[in-house]
Amino acid sequence: MSYNTFPLGTILFNALFLLVAIAIESYVFHTRGRRLDKKASVAYATCVNLFANVLGWIIFFAIEPTLPVNVKTQLISFVFFNQLDSPDANFQSFIIMVGFLIFFATFLLKFGGLRLLEIALKYPLAEPEKINTLTINRRSYKTKLQSRNMATGVLLANSFSYSAILLILVLRSLEVRQIAG
Amino acid sequence: MEYILKLLKPVTDFLGRILRVFNPPRIFSWQTLIYLSIFSWIMASISVGIISNLIGLCGWIFLILATAWYTTDNPLRVFGIPLGALITGALVSVFLFGGGRPETGLTVHSFVFWPTVTALITGIPEFIESGKGKLPSPDVRQRIIILIGVAAVISCWLQFYFVMQNWLQEFPTLQSDTFNRQGLVVRVGEPTTTPTNGIRILNQLDAAVKEELEDRPWSEVERWLIEGKQRVGSLSQEVIQDNLAKYDEKVLWRVQPRVTNLKPVKSGYNLELYAVWNGPSSDPRRYYLSKSCRITPISGGIPQKNSLARVSCSQVSRKPIRGLPPQQL
Repeated sequence: MSYNTFPLGTILFNALFLLVAIAIESYVFHTRGRRLDKKASVAYATCVNLFANVLGWIIFFAIEPTLPVNVKTQLISFVFFNQLDSPDANFQSFIIMVGFLIFFATFLLKFGGLRLLEIALKYPLAEPEKINTLTINRRSYKTKLQSRNMATGVLLANSFSYSAILLILVLRSLEVRQIAG
Repeated sequence: MEYILKLLKPVTDFLGRILRVFNPPRIFSWQTLIYLSIFSWIMASISVGIISNLIGLCGWIFLILATAWYTTDNPLRVFGIPLGALITGALVSVFLFGGGRPETGLTVHSFVFWPTVTALITGIPEFIESGKGKLPSPDVRQRIIILIGVAAVISCWLQFYFVMQNWLQEFPTLQSDTFNRQGLVVRVGEPTTTPTNGIRILNQLDAAVKEELEDRPWSEVERWLIEGKQRVGSLSQEVIQDNLAKYDEKVLWRVQPRVTNLKPVKSGYNLELYAVWNGPSSDPRRYYLSKSCRITPISGGIPQKNSLARVSCSQVSRKPIRGLPPQQL
Protein backbone atom coordinates (compact mmCIF):
# COMPACT_ATOMS: atom_id res chain seq x y z
CA MET A 1 0.00 0.00 0.00
CA SER A 2 1.44 3.29 -1.03
CA TYR A 3 -0.63 5.33 1.39
CA ASN A 4 -1.98 5.13 4.86
CA THR A 5 -5.03 6.53 6.53
CA PHE A 6 -5.13 7.60 10.11
CA PRO A 7 -8.26 8.52 12.10
CA LEU A 8 -6.75 11.78 13.34
CA GLY A 9 -10.06 13.65 13.23
CA THR A 10 -11.82 10.94 15.17
CA ILE A 11 -9.15 10.98 17.86
CA LEU A 12 -9.13 14.77 18.13
CA PHE A 13 -12.92 14.94 18.35
CA ASN A 14 -13.00 12.18 20.92
CA ALA A 15 -10.43 14.06 22.99
CA LEU A 16 -12.33 17.34 22.58
CA PHE A 17 -15.63 15.75 23.63
CA LEU A 18 -13.96 14.18 26.65
CA LEU A 19 -12.49 17.53 27.71
CA VAL A 20 -15.80 19.35 27.22
CA ALA A 21 -17.72 16.67 29.11
CA ILE A 22 -15.21 16.60 31.97
CA ALA A 23 -15.22 20.40 32.27
CA ILE A 24 -19.00 20.68 32.27
CA GLU A 25 -19.67 17.68 34.47
CA SER A 26 -17.10 18.62 37.08
CA TYR A 27 -18.76 22.03 37.24
CA VAL A 28 -22.15 20.38 37.71
CA PHE A 29 -20.78 18.02 40.35
CA HIS A 30 -19.25 21.00 42.10
CA THR A 31 -22.23 23.31 42.08
CA ARG A 32 -25.21 21.01 42.25
CA GLY A 33 -26.25 17.80 43.87
CA ARG A 34 -23.66 16.56 46.28
CA ARG A 35 -21.51 19.68 46.05
CA LEU A 36 -18.12 18.00 45.87
CA ASP A 37 -15.04 20.13 46.36
CA LYS A 38 -13.26 21.32 43.23
CA LYS A 39 -10.50 18.74 43.12
CA ALA A 40 -12.79 15.81 43.81
CA SER A 41 -15.38 16.91 41.28
CA VAL A 42 -12.76 17.16 38.51
CA ALA A 43 -11.36 13.77 39.44
CA TYR A 44 -14.79 12.16 39.58
CA ALA A 45 -15.87 13.66 36.27
CA THR A 46 -12.60 12.53 34.66
CA CYS A 47 -12.85 8.96 35.92
CA VAL A 48 -16.51 8.60 35.07
CA ASN A 49 -16.13 10.02 31.57
CA LEU A 50 -13.06 7.92 30.77
CA PHE A 51 -14.94 4.86 31.99
CA ALA A 52 -18.04 5.61 29.91
CA ASN A 53 -15.91 6.46 26.89
CA VAL A 54 -13.91 3.24 27.00
CA LEU A 55 -17.01 1.11 27.52
CA GLY A 56 -18.70 2.95 24.66
CA TRP A 57 -15.79 2.12 22.37
CA ILE A 58 -15.83 -1.50 23.48
CA ILE A 59 -19.55 -1.75 22.73
CA PHE A 60 -18.90 -0.19 19.35
CA PHE A 61 -16.10 -2.67 18.59
CA ALA A 62 -18.38 -5.51 19.62
CA ILE A 63 -21.31 -4.36 17.48
CA GLU A 64 -19.40 -3.10 14.44
CA PRO A 65 -18.64 -6.51 12.82
CA THR A 66 -22.30 -7.52 13.06
CA LEU A 67 -23.69 -4.39 11.42
CA PRO A 68 -25.56 -4.96 8.14
CA VAL A 69 -23.71 -3.63 5.11
CA ASN A 70 -26.04 -0.68 4.55
CA VAL A 71 -25.55 0.62 8.09
CA LYS A 72 -21.83 -0.01 7.85
CA THR A 73 -21.57 1.96 4.63
CA GLN A 74 -23.34 4.89 6.28
CA LEU A 75 -20.87 4.72 9.12
CA ILE A 76 -17.94 4.57 6.72
CA SER A 77 -19.41 7.40 4.71
CA PHE A 78 -19.62 9.50 7.85
CA VAL A 79 -16.10 8.71 9.03
CA PHE A 80 -14.40 9.09 5.66
CA PHE A 81 -16.49 11.71 3.91
CA ASN A 82 -18.42 13.35 6.75
CA GLN A 83 -21.79 12.81 5.15
CA LEU A 84 -24.55 10.29 5.33
CA ASP A 85 -25.01 8.47 2.09
CA SER A 86 -28.74 8.42 1.48
CA PRO A 87 -30.57 10.80 3.78
CA ASP A 88 -33.87 8.93 3.73
CA ALA A 89 -36.31 9.55 6.55
CA ASN A 90 -36.14 6.00 7.84
CA PHE A 91 -32.46 6.15 8.39
CA GLN A 92 -32.65 9.55 10.03
CA SER A 93 -35.18 8.34 12.56
CA PHE A 94 -32.94 5.33 13.14
CA ILE A 95 -30.05 7.69 13.90
CA ILE A 96 -32.19 9.71 16.29
CA MET A 97 -33.23 6.54 18.06
CA VAL A 98 -29.60 5.41 18.33
CA GLY A 99 -28.64 8.82 19.72
CA PHE A 100 -31.42 8.55 22.27
CA LEU A 101 -30.26 5.09 23.32
CA ILE A 102 -26.65 6.26 23.54
CA PHE A 103 -27.66 9.11 25.83
CA PHE A 104 -29.39 6.83 28.30
CA ALA A 105 -26.73 4.15 28.00
CA THR A 106 -24.07 6.75 28.90
CA PHE A 107 -26.17 7.93 31.78
CA LEU A 108 -26.38 4.39 33.14
CA LEU A 109 -22.67 3.81 32.53
CA LYS A 110 -21.73 7.01 34.30
CA PHE A 111 -24.02 6.25 37.20
CA GLY A 112 -22.59 2.73 37.48
CA GLY A 113 -19.07 4.11 37.03
CA LEU A 114 -19.63 6.55 39.87
CA ARG A 115 -20.78 3.74 42.12
CA LEU A 116 -17.71 1.67 41.20
CA LEU A 117 -15.50 4.66 41.79
CA GLU A 118 -17.00 5.14 45.23
CA ILE A 119 -16.16 1.56 46.07
CA ALA A 120 -12.67 1.83 44.56
CA LEU A 121 -11.84 4.98 46.48
CA LYS A 122 -13.54 3.70 49.64
CA TYR A 123 -14.86 6.99 50.72
CA PRO A 124 -18.47 7.81 50.14
CA LEU A 125 -19.35 10.59 47.78
CA ALA A 126 -21.27 12.27 50.59
CA GLU A 127 -22.55 10.98 53.88
CA PRO A 128 -26.31 10.69 53.97
CA GLU A 129 -27.31 13.82 55.82
CA LYS A 130 -28.73 13.21 59.22
CA ILE A 131 -32.14 14.64 59.63
CA ASN A 132 -31.87 17.11 62.37
CA THR A 133 -35.10 18.99 62.65
CA LEU A 134 -33.54 21.69 64.75
CA THR A 135 -30.92 22.78 62.26
CA ILE A 136 -33.02 22.61 59.15
CA ASN A 137 -33.08 25.97 57.58
CA ARG A 138 -34.24 26.86 54.18
CA ARG A 139 -30.87 26.55 52.56
CA SER A 140 -29.91 23.16 53.88
CA TYR A 141 -33.37 21.90 53.09
CA LYS A 142 -32.88 23.07 49.52
CA THR A 143 -29.49 21.42 49.28
CA LYS A 144 -30.94 18.25 50.66
CA LEU A 145 -33.62 18.24 48.03
CA GLN A 146 -30.99 18.80 45.35
CA SER A 147 -28.68 16.16 46.66
CA ARG A 148 -31.56 13.79 47.17
CA ASN A 149 -30.01 11.36 44.83
CA MET A 150 -26.87 10.98 42.89
CA ALA A 151 -28.79 9.90 39.81
CA THR A 152 -30.30 13.36 39.34
CA GLY A 153 -26.85 14.92 39.46
CA VAL A 154 -25.43 12.49 36.93
CA LEU A 155 -28.44 12.91 34.67
CA LEU A 156 -28.12 16.66 34.84
CA ALA A 157 -24.36 16.55 34.18
CA ASN A 158 -24.86 14.14 31.32
CA SER A 159 -27.56 16.30 29.73
CA PHE A 160 -25.42 19.42 29.93
CA SER A 161 -22.37 17.78 28.42
CA TYR A 162 -24.42 16.14 25.66
CA SER A 163 -26.03 19.47 24.83
CA ALA A 164 -22.60 21.07 24.53
CA ILE A 165 -21.30 18.26 22.33
CA LEU A 166 -24.43 18.43 20.18
CA LEU A 167 -23.90 22.16 19.79
CA ILE A 168 -20.31 21.56 18.65
CA LEU A 169 -21.52 18.96 16.13
CA VAL A 170 -24.21 21.28 14.77
CA LEU A 171 -21.77 24.18 14.41
CA ARG A 172 -19.31 21.89 12.70
CA SER A 173 -21.88 20.55 10.24
CA LEU A 174 -22.92 24.12 9.42
CA GLU A 175 -19.32 25.04 8.75
CA VAL A 176 -18.73 21.94 6.65
CA ARG A 177 -21.81 22.74 4.58
CA GLN A 178 -20.50 26.26 4.03
CA ILE A 179 -17.12 25.02 2.84
CA ALA A 180 -18.68 22.39 0.65
CA GLY A 181 -21.33 24.70 -0.85
CA MET B 1 10.00 -11.56 43.29
CA GLU B 2 11.91 -13.02 46.22
CA TYR B 3 9.54 -15.92 46.45
CA ILE B 4 10.09 -16.82 42.82
CA LEU B 5 13.82 -16.51 43.26
CA LYS B 6 13.77 -18.78 46.30
CA LEU B 7 12.01 -21.39 44.21
CA LEU B 8 14.56 -21.03 41.46
CA LYS B 9 17.54 -20.92 43.78
CA PRO B 10 19.04 -24.30 42.90
CA VAL B 11 18.73 -23.50 39.23
CA THR B 12 20.19 -20.04 39.55
CA ASP B 13 23.04 -21.34 41.71
CA PHE B 14 24.00 -23.84 39.11
CA LEU B 15 23.61 -21.44 36.23
CA GLY B 16 25.33 -18.71 38.19
CA ARG B 17 28.46 -20.82 38.45
CA ILE B 18 28.47 -21.34 34.72
CA LEU B 19 27.55 -17.77 33.94
CA ARG B 20 30.23 -16.31 36.18
CA VAL B 21 32.22 -16.19 32.97
CA PHE B 22 29.86 -13.45 31.83
CA ASN B 23 30.29 -11.87 35.22
CA PRO B 24 26.95 -10.70 36.53
CA PRO B 25 27.55 -8.51 39.59
CA ARG B 26 25.48 -10.79 41.84
CA ILE B 27 23.82 -14.08 41.25
CA PHE B 28 20.46 -12.49 41.91
CA SER B 29 20.58 -9.83 39.27
CA TRP B 30 18.70 -9.01 36.15
CA GLN B 31 21.56 -10.28 34.02
CA THR B 32 21.01 -13.75 35.43
CA LEU B 33 17.38 -13.58 34.43
CA ILE B 34 18.31 -12.50 30.92
CA TYR B 35 20.71 -15.42 30.67
CA LEU B 36 18.03 -17.72 31.99
CA SER B 37 15.59 -16.53 29.37
CA ILE B 38 18.15 -16.93 26.59
CA PHE B 39 18.94 -20.39 27.91
CA SER B 40 15.23 -21.24 28.00
CA TRP B 41 14.75 -20.13 24.44
CA ILE B 42 17.68 -22.16 23.24
CA MET B 43 16.27 -25.18 25.05
CA ALA B 44 12.81 -24.45 23.66
CA SER B 45 14.13 -24.24 20.13
CA ILE B 46 15.72 -27.70 20.30
CA SER B 47 12.76 -29.37 21.97
CA VAL B 48 9.34 -30.07 20.50
CA GLY B 49 5.65 -30.03 21.38
CA ILE B 50 4.35 -29.02 24.75
CA ILE B 51 7.83 -29.14 26.36
CA SER B 52 9.02 -26.52 23.93
CA ASN B 53 6.00 -24.32 24.71
CA LEU B 54 6.53 -24.74 28.42
CA ILE B 55 10.20 -23.81 28.32
CA GLY B 56 9.38 -20.96 25.97
CA LEU B 57 6.88 -19.69 28.50
CA CYS B 58 9.59 -19.71 31.18
CA GLY B 59 11.80 -17.77 28.78
CA TRP B 60 9.13 -15.10 28.48
CA ILE B 61 8.62 -14.86 32.21
CA PHE B 62 12.35 -14.54 32.83
CA LEU B 63 12.65 -11.88 30.17
CA ILE B 64 9.73 -9.87 31.57
CA LEU B 65 11.05 -10.12 35.12
CA ALA B 66 14.53 -9.13 33.99
CA THR B 67 13.19 -6.12 32.13
CA ALA B 68 11.03 -5.08 35.06
CA TRP B 69 14.02 -5.47 37.40
CA TYR B 70 16.40 -3.54 35.20
CA THR B 71 13.98 -0.72 34.58
CA THR B 72 13.03 -0.35 38.23
CA ASP B 73 16.72 -0.12 39.07
CA ASN B 74 17.26 2.58 36.47
CA PRO B 75 13.99 4.48 36.20
CA LEU B 76 13.69 6.87 33.30
CA ARG B 77 10.44 8.79 33.27
CA VAL B 78 8.61 10.33 30.32
CA PHE B 79 5.47 12.32 31.19
CA GLY B 80 5.34 10.66 34.59
CA ILE B 81 5.21 7.22 33.04
CA PRO B 82 8.36 5.27 33.70
CA LEU B 83 9.84 4.35 30.35
CA GLY B 84 10.63 0.94 31.78
CA ALA B 85 6.95 0.23 32.20
CA LEU B 86 6.48 0.93 28.50
CA ILE B 87 9.12 -1.64 27.63
CA THR B 88 7.86 -4.17 30.16
CA GLY B 89 4.32 -3.44 28.97
CA ALA B 90 5.35 -4.13 25.39
CA LEU B 91 6.88 -7.44 26.40
CA VAL B 92 3.89 -8.46 28.48
CA SER B 93 1.37 -7.59 25.77
CA VAL B 94 3.41 -9.40 23.11
CA PHE B 95 3.55 -12.33 25.50
CA LEU B 96 -0.15 -12.27 26.33
CA PHE B 97 -1.66 -11.37 22.96
CA GLY B 98 1.03 -12.41 20.50
CA GLY B 99 0.46 -16.11 21.03
CA GLY B 100 3.18 -16.25 23.66
CA ARG B 101 5.93 -17.15 21.25
CA PRO B 102 8.56 -14.87 19.82
CA GLU B 103 8.12 -16.14 16.26
CA THR B 104 4.45 -15.06 16.15
CA GLY B 105 5.75 -11.55 16.55
CA LEU B 106 3.52 -8.52 16.87
CA THR B 107 -0.19 -8.97 16.47
CA VAL B 108 -2.84 -6.29 16.31
CA HIS B 109 -3.93 -7.19 19.82
CA SER B 110 -0.52 -6.93 21.40
CA PHE B 111 -0.22 -3.49 19.87
CA VAL B 112 -3.70 -2.37 20.95
CA PHE B 113 -3.32 -3.52 24.54
CA TRP B 114 0.16 -2.10 24.98
CA PRO B 115 -0.88 1.25 26.54
CA THR B 116 -3.36 -0.36 28.92
CA VAL B 117 -0.92 -3.05 30.01
CA THR B 118 1.73 -0.38 30.54
CA ALA B 119 -0.61 1.63 32.74
CA LEU B 120 -1.49 -1.46 34.76
CA ILE B 121 2.20 -2.23 35.24
CA THR B 122 2.87 1.35 36.30
CA GLY B 123 0.21 0.93 38.96
CA ILE B 124 1.53 -2.32 40.40
CA PRO B 125 4.41 -0.88 42.50
CA GLU B 126 1.91 1.28 44.40
CA PHE B 127 0.29 -1.86 45.73
CA ILE B 128 3.57 -3.36 46.94
CA GLU B 129 5.60 -2.10 49.84
CA SER B 130 8.74 -3.94 50.89
CA GLY B 131 7.53 -7.21 49.47
CA LYS B 132 4.05 -7.02 50.95
CA GLY B 133 0.74 -6.01 49.51
CA LYS B 134 -0.75 -2.73 50.65
CA LEU B 135 -3.61 -0.50 49.71
CA PRO B 136 -2.42 2.88 48.49
CA SER B 137 -4.10 6.06 49.67
CA PRO B 138 -7.27 7.23 47.89
CA ASP B 139 -5.33 9.97 46.11
CA VAL B 140 -2.90 7.46 44.66
CA ARG B 141 -5.72 5.09 43.76
CA GLN B 142 -7.49 7.90 41.98
CA ARG B 143 -4.33 8.76 40.04
CA ILE B 144 -3.90 5.13 39.01
CA ILE B 145 -7.53 4.89 37.88
CA ILE B 146 -7.20 8.00 35.74
CA LEU B 147 -3.91 6.79 34.26
CA ILE B 148 -5.43 3.43 33.36
CA GLY B 149 -8.52 5.17 31.95
CA VAL B 150 -6.44 7.42 29.70
CA ALA B 151 -4.37 4.46 28.55
CA ALA B 152 -7.52 2.46 27.81
CA VAL B 153 -8.89 5.33 25.70
CA ILE B 154 -5.62 5.35 23.73
CA SER B 155 -5.98 1.59 23.28
CA CYS B 156 -9.47 2.19 21.89
CA TRP B 157 -8.11 4.72 19.41
CA LEU B 158 -5.50 2.23 18.25
CA GLN B 159 -8.21 -0.38 17.86
CA PHE B 160 -10.29 2.08 15.84
CA TYR B 161 -7.32 2.58 13.54
CA PHE B 162 -7.31 -1.15 12.89
CA VAL B 163 -11.09 -1.22 12.41
CA MET B 164 -10.62 1.46 9.77
CA GLN B 165 -7.87 -0.52 8.04
CA ASN B 166 -10.28 -3.42 7.99
CA TRP B 167 -12.91 -1.25 6.30
CA LEU B 168 -10.40 -0.25 3.65
CA GLN B 169 -9.69 -3.91 3.01
CA GLU B 170 -13.33 -4.88 2.80
CA PHE B 171 -14.23 -1.84 0.69
CA PRO B 172 -11.09 -1.27 -1.38
CA THR B 173 -12.92 1.08 -3.73
CA LEU B 174 -12.82 3.65 -0.91
CA GLN B 175 -9.09 3.85 -1.45
CA SER B 176 -9.52 5.36 -4.88
CA ASP B 177 -11.65 8.21 -3.57
CA THR B 178 -10.34 11.57 -2.51
CA PHE B 179 -11.03 12.07 1.16
CA ASN B 180 -12.08 15.65 1.56
CA ARG B 181 -10.51 17.42 4.46
CA GLN B 182 -13.76 17.64 6.39
CA GLY B 183 -13.68 13.91 7.04
CA LEU B 184 -12.58 12.41 10.31
CA VAL B 185 -9.48 10.85 8.80
CA VAL B 186 -6.25 12.04 7.27
CA ARG B 187 -4.43 10.28 4.52
CA VAL B 188 -0.70 10.05 4.09
CA GLY B 189 0.57 9.35 0.59
CA GLU B 190 -1.01 9.12 -2.82
CA PRO B 191 -4.40 7.56 -3.44
CA THR B 192 -4.83 4.95 -6.13
CA THR B 193 -6.73 6.66 -8.92
CA THR B 194 -8.97 3.94 -10.25
CA PRO B 195 -11.28 1.54 -8.44
CA THR B 196 -9.63 -1.76 -9.35
CA ASN B 197 -12.64 -3.85 -8.42
CA GLY B 198 -14.87 -1.94 -10.84
CA ILE B 199 -12.35 -2.45 -13.62
CA ARG B 200 -12.11 -6.11 -12.81
CA ILE B 201 -15.90 -6.52 -12.93
CA LEU B 202 -16.12 -4.91 -16.36
CA ASN B 203 -13.19 -6.88 -17.78
CA GLN B 204 -14.57 -10.17 -16.56
CA LEU B 205 -18.02 -9.23 -17.80
CA ASP B 206 -16.54 -8.41 -21.18
CA ALA B 207 -15.09 -11.92 -21.35
CA ALA B 208 -18.40 -13.45 -20.26
CA VAL B 209 -20.38 -11.51 -22.87
CA LYS B 210 -17.91 -12.56 -25.55
CA GLU B 211 -18.29 -16.16 -24.53
CA GLU B 212 -22.08 -15.91 -24.84
CA LEU B 213 -22.28 -13.98 -28.10
CA GLU B 214 -19.20 -14.57 -30.19
CA ASP B 215 -19.75 -16.80 -33.19
CA ARG B 216 -23.44 -17.13 -32.43
CA PRO B 217 -26.08 -16.75 -35.15
CA TRP B 218 -27.22 -13.17 -35.54
CA SER B 219 -30.88 -13.84 -34.70
CA GLU B 220 -29.85 -15.40 -31.40
CA VAL B 221 -27.65 -12.43 -30.63
CA GLU B 222 -30.50 -10.02 -31.29
CA ARG B 223 -32.78 -11.95 -28.99
CA TRP B 224 -30.08 -11.86 -26.32
CA LEU B 225 -29.73 -8.10 -26.69
CA ILE B 226 -33.48 -7.55 -26.40
CA GLU B 227 -33.34 -9.16 -23.00
CA GLY B 228 -30.01 -7.39 -22.41
CA LYS B 229 -30.90 -6.08 -19.00
CA GLN B 230 -31.70 -9.49 -17.49
CA ARG B 231 -28.87 -11.25 -19.35
CA VAL B 232 -26.21 -8.76 -18.33
CA GLY B 233 -27.72 -8.63 -14.86
CA SER B 234 -27.34 -12.35 -14.23
CA LEU B 235 -23.91 -12.47 -15.89
CA SER B 236 -22.70 -9.61 -13.71
CA GLN B 237 -24.05 -11.34 -10.61
CA GLU B 238 -21.92 -14.35 -11.47
CA VAL B 239 -18.88 -12.23 -12.23
CA ILE B 240 -19.20 -10.33 -8.95
CA GLN B 241 -19.70 -13.55 -7.01
CA ASP B 242 -16.64 -15.09 -8.64
CA ASN B 243 -14.29 -12.15 -8.33
CA LEU B 244 -15.36 -10.10 -5.35
CA ALA B 245 -16.47 -12.87 -3.01
CA LYS B 246 -13.93 -11.95 -0.36
CA TYR B 247 -14.92 -8.29 -0.23
CA ASP B 248 -17.85 -6.80 1.66
CA GLU B 249 -18.19 -4.24 -1.08
CA LYS B 250 -19.51 -6.84 -3.53
CA VAL B 251 -23.09 -5.74 -2.85
CA LEU B 252 -22.26 -2.13 -3.62
CA TRP B 253 -21.38 -2.60 -7.29
CA ARG B 254 -24.26 -2.66 -9.74
CA VAL B 255 -23.92 -3.29 -13.45
CA GLN B 256 -26.34 -1.92 -15.98
CA PRO B 257 -26.20 -2.24 -19.77
CA ARG B 258 -27.37 0.03 -22.54
CA VAL B 259 -27.88 -1.18 -26.08
CA THR B 260 -27.81 1.29 -28.99
CA ASN B 261 -27.79 0.91 -32.74
CA LEU B 262 -24.56 1.37 -34.58
CA LYS B 263 -24.39 3.74 -37.49
CA PRO B 264 -25.14 3.11 -40.26
CA VAL B 265 -28.43 1.78 -38.92
CA LYS B 266 -28.74 -1.99 -38.63
CA SER B 267 -25.04 -2.64 -39.22
CA GLY B 268 -24.77 -3.86 -35.64
CA TYR B 269 -25.20 -2.87 -32.01
CA ASN B 270 -23.27 -1.09 -29.36
CA LEU B 271 -23.48 -2.62 -25.91
CA GLU B 272 -22.44 -0.23 -23.16
CA LEU B 273 -21.59 -1.80 -19.82
CA TYR B 274 -21.70 0.44 -16.78
CA ALA B 275 -20.40 -0.51 -13.36
CA VAL B 276 -22.02 1.86 -10.85
CA TRP B 277 -20.51 2.35 -7.40
CA ASN B 278 -23.34 2.52 -4.89
CA GLY B 279 -21.12 2.78 -1.86
CA PRO B 280 -19.79 5.72 0.13
CA SER B 281 -18.14 8.39 -1.95
CA SER B 282 -16.90 11.92 -1.38
CA ASP B 283 -19.31 13.01 -4.11
CA PRO B 284 -22.94 12.24 -3.24
CA ARG B 285 -23.77 12.09 -6.98
CA ARG B 286 -21.91 8.74 -7.15
CA TYR B 287 -19.80 7.62 -10.09
CA TYR B 288 -19.50 4.82 -12.58
CA LEU B 289 -17.06 3.16 -14.95
CA SER B 290 -17.95 2.25 -18.49
CA LYS B 291 -16.87 -0.05 -21.26
CA SER B 292 -18.43 -0.31 -24.68
CA CYS B 293 -18.65 -3.35 -26.89
CA ARG B 294 -19.40 -3.34 -30.60
CA ILE B 295 -21.39 -6.32 -31.75
CA THR B 296 -21.14 -6.74 -35.50
CA PRO B 297 -21.52 -9.61 -37.95
CA ILE B 298 -18.26 -11.25 -38.97
CA SER B 299 -19.04 -10.79 -42.64
CA GLY B 300 -19.56 -7.05 -42.24
CA GLY B 301 -22.27 -4.96 -43.82
CA ILE B 302 -25.96 -5.62 -43.13
CA PRO B 303 -26.24 -8.81 -41.06
CA GLN B 304 -28.16 -11.76 -42.43
CA LYS B 305 -30.24 -14.14 -40.30
CA ASN B 306 -27.49 -16.71 -40.19
CA SER B 307 -24.37 -14.58 -40.11
CA LEU B 308 -22.21 -15.00 -37.04
CA ALA B 309 -21.54 -12.28 -34.51
CA ARG B 310 -18.29 -10.73 -33.44
CA VAL B 311 -17.79 -8.80 -30.22
CA SER B 312 -15.03 -6.26 -29.76
CA CYS B 313 -14.77 -4.20 -26.61
CA SER B 314 -12.92 -1.03 -25.70
CA GLN B 315 -10.85 -0.45 -22.61
CA VAL B 316 -12.57 0.51 -19.38
CA SER B 317 -12.92 4.27 -19.04
CA ARG B 318 -9.74 5.53 -17.47
CA LYS B 319 -11.35 7.72 -14.88
CA PRO B 320 -14.58 7.26 -12.99
CA ILE B 321 -17.43 9.29 -14.47
CA ARG B 322 -19.50 11.41 -12.06
CA GLY B 323 -23.21 10.92 -11.80
CA LEU B 324 -25.44 8.09 -12.92
CA PRO B 325 -25.07 6.37 -16.30
CA PRO B 326 -27.60 7.05 -19.08
CA GLN B 327 -30.63 4.78 -18.99
CA GLN B 328 -31.76 2.45 -21.73
CA LEU B 329 -34.22 4.27 -23.95
